[in-house]
Amino acid sequence: MSILSLHNVSKSFGKTEIIRGVNLDIQAGERHAIIGPNGAGKSTLFHLISGKYQLSSGRITFRDREIQNLPPYEIARLGLARSFQVTNIFPRLSVFENVRCGMLWKQGLGYSFRHLLGSQTELNVRAMQLLEEINLADRADFPAGELAYAQQRALELGVAIASGADLIMLDEPVAGMSLSEAEAAVSLIRKITEGKTLVMVEHDMNIVFGVADRISVLVYGEIIASGSPQAVRANPKVQEAYLGEAALAEAGGNDA
Amino acid sequence: MGRFAAWVGYLIVLLGLPQLFDSVLAITILNQMAIAIVFALSYNMLLGQGGMLSFGHAVYFGLGGFMAVHALIMIEFETVYFSITLIPLVGGLIGLMAAIFIGSFSTHKAGTVFAMISLGIGELVAASSLIFVSFFGGEAGVSADRTFGPPFFGIEFFQDVEIYYLSAGWVFVSTVFMYLFTQTPAGRMANAVRDNPERAEFIGYSARRVRFISFCTSGFFAGVAGGLFALNYEFITEENLNAVTSGRVLLMAYIGGLGYFIGPIIGAVLLTLMNSLLSNYTELWMLYLGIMFVLTVLFLPRGFAGFIMMHQTAWLRGKLSSLIRPYLITGIPAIMFSGSILAAIEMLHHNGEPFGFLFLTLDSGSMLHWLGLTTVGAASYFACRRSIGQLKAAWEEANRVGDATEGGPG
Amino acid sequence: MLEVFVFSTLNGLVTGLLLFMLASGLTLIFSMMGVLNFAHASFYMLGAYFAYSISLKLGFWAGLLLAPLLVGTFGALVERYALRRVHAHGHVAELVFTFGLAFLIEEAVQFFWGADTKNYQSPDLLDFPLFTLFGQEFSAYRGFMITISVGIFLALYYVLTRSRIGIIIQAAITHPHTVANLGHNVPLIFMAVFGVGTALAGVAGVIAGPVLTTFPGMAVVLGSIVFVIVVIGGLGSLGGAFVASLMIGLLQSYAIASNLGMPDLLNLLGLEFSRDHPLNDLWTLTLPQIAPVLPFLLLVLVLIFRPTGLAGKREE
Repeated sequence: MSILSLHNVSKSFGKTEIIRGVNLDIQAGERHAIIGPNGAGKSTLFHLISGKYQLSSGRITFRDREIQNLPPYEIARLGLARSFQVTNIFPRLSVFENVRCGMLWKQGLGYSFRHLLGSQTELNVRAMQLLEEINLADRADFPAGELAYAQQRALELGVAIASGADLIMLDEPVAGMSLSEAEAAVSLIRKITEGKTLVMVEHDMNIVFGVADRISVLVYGEIIASGSPQAVRANPKVQEAYLGEAALAEAGGNDA
Repeated sequence: MGRFAAWVGYLIVLLGLPQLFDSVLAITILNQMAIAIVFALSYNMLLGQGGMLSFGHAVYFGLGGFMAVHALIMIEFETVYFSITLIPLVGGLIGLMAAIFIGSFSTHKAGTVFAMISLGIGELVAASSLIFVSFFGGEAGVSADRTFGPPFFGIEFFQDVEIYYLSAGWVFVSTVFMYLFTQTPAGRMANAVRDNPERAEFIGYSARRVRFISFCTSGFFAGVAGGLFALNYEFITEENLNAVTSGRVLLMAYIGGLGYFIGPIIGAVLLTLMNSLLSNYTELWMLYLGIMFVLTVLFLPRGFAGFIMMHQTAWLRGKLSSLIRPYLITGIPAIMFSGSILAAIEMLHHNGEPFGFLFLTLDSGSMLHWLGLTTVGAASYFACRRSIGQLKAAWEEANRVGDATEGGPG
Repeated sequence: MLEVFVFSTLNGLVTGLLLFMLASGLTLIFSMMGVLNFAHASFYMLGAYFAYSISLKLGFWAGLLLAPLLVGTFGALVERYALRRVHAHGHVAELVFTFGLAFLIEEAVQFFWGADTKNYQSPDLLDFPLFTLFGQEFSAYRGFMITISVGIFLALYYVLTRSRIGIIIQAAITHPHTVANLGHNVPLIFMAVFGVGTALAGVAGVIAGPVLTTFPGMAVVLGSIVFVIVVIGGLGSLGGAFVASLMIGLLQSYAIASNLGMPDLLNLLGLEFSRDHPLNDLWTLTLPQIAPVLPFLLLVLVLIFRPTGLAGKREE
């Protein structure tokens, strides 16, 4: 069953077409990786889906509901969460509060100024549990801006999944991490996206082939291949787009 | 438990101060402080907690105050009749209504755009108040008499000290509610939106709506402060709506410390004291205020509250006492240096005529005085320079993080 | 009627060009550093006061030459030793700092020069009517103001678009890191731009002082309006600031000169209200009354409907 569908999605900035007629189906419960060379438009695609950018044309449906051009907060409320390539947390709030804020809407607290958060036991317990899962429980009261880089990435992840969303979109979650840090991050991602749908932008082919059920390849704003890892690996168009696997092993890099 | 004790302490201080300081001047100052505390706390909801810099906050204070004065007039002429203890509520409601209206179009963005809109609105309202003379009384303002309301448990509020206790009650209740607001989802999300409005949207919150809620609540309490003002002075003018008053509350909040709930309280107390006491000793107190403000922004960006809280780590580790000596050997020369600068400024100001400076009589005509001043200034400057290294070392020692920061998840 | 129109146009032009002198410096500074210099009009005031003191000893022309230099130097020092420090704490801190600076400068001016209005005189050389139209004189000094303003703008335009340093500045405005990587001393450029921007404000003060009166409140009078102009014109756009300056200068000039008001509008609609009507203040409102606040009304409207201003480039 398809949880997220893109129908002929296009996005232009002025005269430059970044995304050209992308069609994509994400199946519920699967782990789907989006790969592609630098500048292919992967982050732009994420921005389009999560509501940061408006589409130039096309449709996006989430659980059969059209979500294109909705404001980000409405999309988030429907159960779609995302993380960012450049860490995007709340630096002056504590680690605990970062995560708790992520849970507020789902908990039904909305814009209330009548509920005191201190006495929301269930909420606080769940927030602590999440911190345990992402191994930041001992840093709970630290200001988030003072964490080490890898810990901030973990918090970034935590805030994204705090809302209990069914579709988690991660934009280069292990960017800038050392090998051991990345390995730890990946097993964390696997653990916390259990039972949910995961869409991940990633450069590291080892991670991609280790984690993904299906892969889509985005080149110059178009999906040139989509399918199982083996099929994509063997696809001549993909091999042509990438000059061998060595070039893919570069971590990081910017997208349009 | 510590929190509860702090609140009880706060209440005790509020109620006990007039027992300690019972002169007429003291009561006047305490009343001014009460008004300033509520006003500054309301401002901090916007700036410190919401990240919205407003140059026009006096609008809500002033509008609340004007309505409150008119309410007093209506009570006097029995158009309406209710206890004047509710007057601050009248002010608050007007402040809220104004904030709802103005907030509906000014909270789309924070940052410079918000600041500029607030500036524009502030100027418009202040100018309008001079045009609509029937409500605002023009340059003469509006005055009233608070003693015509129904007695409150026998009190008719002829005396300033009675007004103080009423104000203290409102200050306490307002502080409690403003504090509690910070502990609610709306209050916490206000912090989140301040830190990262984009991310807040991606976790399901409209940044605009969050800002709007903070804006309205802040307007309400500013109006309450305006109501307290009306009760205290029984008189209000355009000045209480204009940019000068808006600037003053910004100063209070900033000097006190934006990032801490207690900061604006400190700032309000400090500035009220400077305003009322210092102005008796020197004509230049505004200049000193300006200097202090600029120095605070440059060197103490977290304000006085921030300065105090900086010592929290050292205090928690029991190392606070190790800082006492370095502070003394650096602080005393620093104070003497500042004193000599102040004396020099005052000397220039009192060109030729002798005047009293603390316990001395100085005369700018006297070469000896100038020589003495330069010597004291230079000596204290160098003493301070020499000691500052020790202070830095002691500081680092007291604050050193013992364990190394771990890396990576898992 | 025509006479009123011509003279208010001329006066509006003088004011508008003066405002642009202030707004251009502010825009340059904002484009470069992202900070709206609240104290910009204070440098204008310093220009007037410095020129006044200099003119007492050395005459007006020496003041015209030296005062902007003094102001610009002071501005550069402020940037180097204070603003740069505060920059690290974010935009809000910068705005608050410049606000505090404005306050401090106003107090300092009163300390050094006193709180009274200074008798800063325009030079005798220009004390003649440039032309007489419809029986009213237009003083040569105002003509001089226009000439100086235009001359400075042409020089500014030339430097920014034709000279090497101008190109570097334009580049540093949008891509400071790239420019730094190319080996240019970006901090120095920032300091220089701030210095030039404030010096421009100083020049405005030097030539406006005799006409708009030199007193400690002169910064407050113009300060807010300059902000309005920069915001309306579009934060970061010199062209927009130019259009907005002239627009506001002319608008205010016409509003003050005209006698139109609500009574005329009510007449047109055939309505009439008694003097006891609660909203009587509104029904008797005239344009000259609201002239001082028209810029702010415009500001709020523009910010609501077009937050990037009329020609805005850089958005906060």
